[in-house]
Amino acid sequence: MNKKSDFLFDKGSSHFFLPWICALMVFVATLATAGGISTYNSLKLWQQSVAESLTVQIPTYDEDGNPRNELAYKDIENALMLLRTTPGVSGAIVLNDEQMQELMVPWLGADANLAELPLPKLIDVNVDAAHPPLLEQLKADLAEKVPGAVLDSHRIWLGDLVKLANAMLSLVIFILILLFATVAAAIVYITNATLSIQEYELSLVHMLGAQDLYITTHYAWHNLKKALMGSLIGSLIALPIILGIALFLRSISTQIFQSGLQPLQWVSLLLIPMATTILAFITTFYTVWRFLKRFV
Amino acid sequence: MSIKENLSPYLAEFNGVSLRYNKGPEILKDINFQLKPRMFYFMTGESGAGKTSLLSLLYLHLEPTKGRVRLFGQAIDMMSRSTKAQIRRQIGVVFQDYRLFHHLNAFDNVALPLRLAGEKESDIRKHVSELLAWVGLEKQMKSFPEELSGGEQQRIAIARAVIHKPTLLLADEPTGNVDDAMAKRLMYLFLELNKLGTTVVVATHNAGLVKNFHFPQLHLAGGHLKEIPAAESYTEMASKIFKREEDHE
Repeated sequence: MNKKSDFLFDKGSSHFFLPWICALMVFVATLATAGGISTYNSLKLWQQSVAESLTVQIPTYDEDGNPRNELAYKDIENALMLLRTTPGVSGAIVLNDEQMQELMVPWLGADANLAELPLPKLIDVNVDAAHPPLLEQLKADLAEKVPGAVLDSHRIWLGDLVKLANAMLSLVIFILILLFATVAAAIVYITNATLSIQEYELSLVHMLGAQDLYITTHYAWHNLKKALMGSLIGSLIALPIILGIALFLRSISTQIFQSGLQPLQWVSLLLIPMATTILAFITTFYTVWRFLKRFV
Repeated sequence: MSIKENLSPYLAEFNGVSLRYNKGPEILKDINFQLKPRMFYFMTGESGAGKTSLLSLLYLHLEPTKGRVRLFGQAIDMMSRSTKAQIRRQIGVVFQDYRLFHHLNAFDNVALPLRLAGEKESDIRKHVSELLAWVGLEKQMKSFPEELSGGEQQRIAIARAVIHKPTLLLADEPTGNVDDAMAKRLMYLFLELNKLGTTVVVATHNAGLVKNFHFPQLHLAGGHLKEIPAAESYTEMASKIFKREEDHE
């Protein structure tokens, strides 16, 4: 395309608004996507860790509220023996008092005296994820050999986590669609405003024999460049913020946000400015093409 | 896509053409005429007679409300937009109100048709400079339209219309804002183009111009068109004019 014929853009609003709208939208979309993916990753990690473990509760008090110390220790021994010989169980350990204390901190605080509470003893069971045990069989064996023991497979939790993770992904996709639709609508508006301002020049160029394709491509490339510039600015502002948040969460959290973004997911965030730029090109092309139909 | 070969003996044919704007009265009524290749025509008529509208139909700015217009052998209602664009490139138009690009200087305004046609920049520089010198604007090449007089703007508009040596040149009152000497000079530019094969249609209500040059007339009155043949044979008259020009020089 002849550079000298870049006459169409002497005046018009697209110069200023288009890059900034793209920058803003890419910034918001990148943050939303990073937040969504990161939360999804964390939920998936939880799901995985929950799916790979079982908990067996051994009651330490009977139904009348009397301590059953010796009976409880015997139940624990029986349960451990059963678990360690069950196919699919890779390990089973009884949580000690310190671990129980740590587990209860979120609910009871650090100074709670657990000895005064009728808490059951907990056995943490690790499961071979590839060949998990048959839960119904394990439940029946436990009921037979350790009456009163409760097997918690976290299934309710697991179902909720899967739903939450999927809902999070759907939310990210919905937000992205909304943002891209907003960008497209803004480009249509800006392009139409520019075309109306330049209608005199356009009609002249049309009259001089310019093909519709020549004019539409000219505008589309122009807006592509502006959108690319804005999108890159949006990305360049968003990415360091996301990196900062990720590092901050990693420093304050032990587990919840440890997963963060995978390397490929970091790269995928760069698809947002690229998609915005391509969207700007296609939307401008279509808008100009329609506008030109008003000329014979 | 290229324009089909013109098998018609005419450059333009109007059959039963009428034109009205929206729901207003008919500006042009049942117009029938043909433009022959390599001819020179005057389009005459009072102001408001419809000369500009008829020219607009010829350069594909408007479509008739009735009848059929054929350009370069093809009916315009059957043409693709791409073909229409190609046909427009074969037509040069001088507008009454010049219609220059106000943010482009004289040189770039004139160069525009060549740039749209994808000509080489070195060729563009050569041809545009020569033509601007010919119309006496070699010192105003870098000037913008606002910095030029009406007559100078008109000469830029004419230069832009002829720079690509169009097959059909349509000029709407091209000498309206220039003095007699320049008007004559511009007419000789049109004649020179005509001699090279361009069909020229000059719309004017300058009776003196029409009287001096004796070309066939397309006369508009009351929306109707009447063809008035040249007073003497076209060839004789054209050769006389060129002889006068040579004697003058």
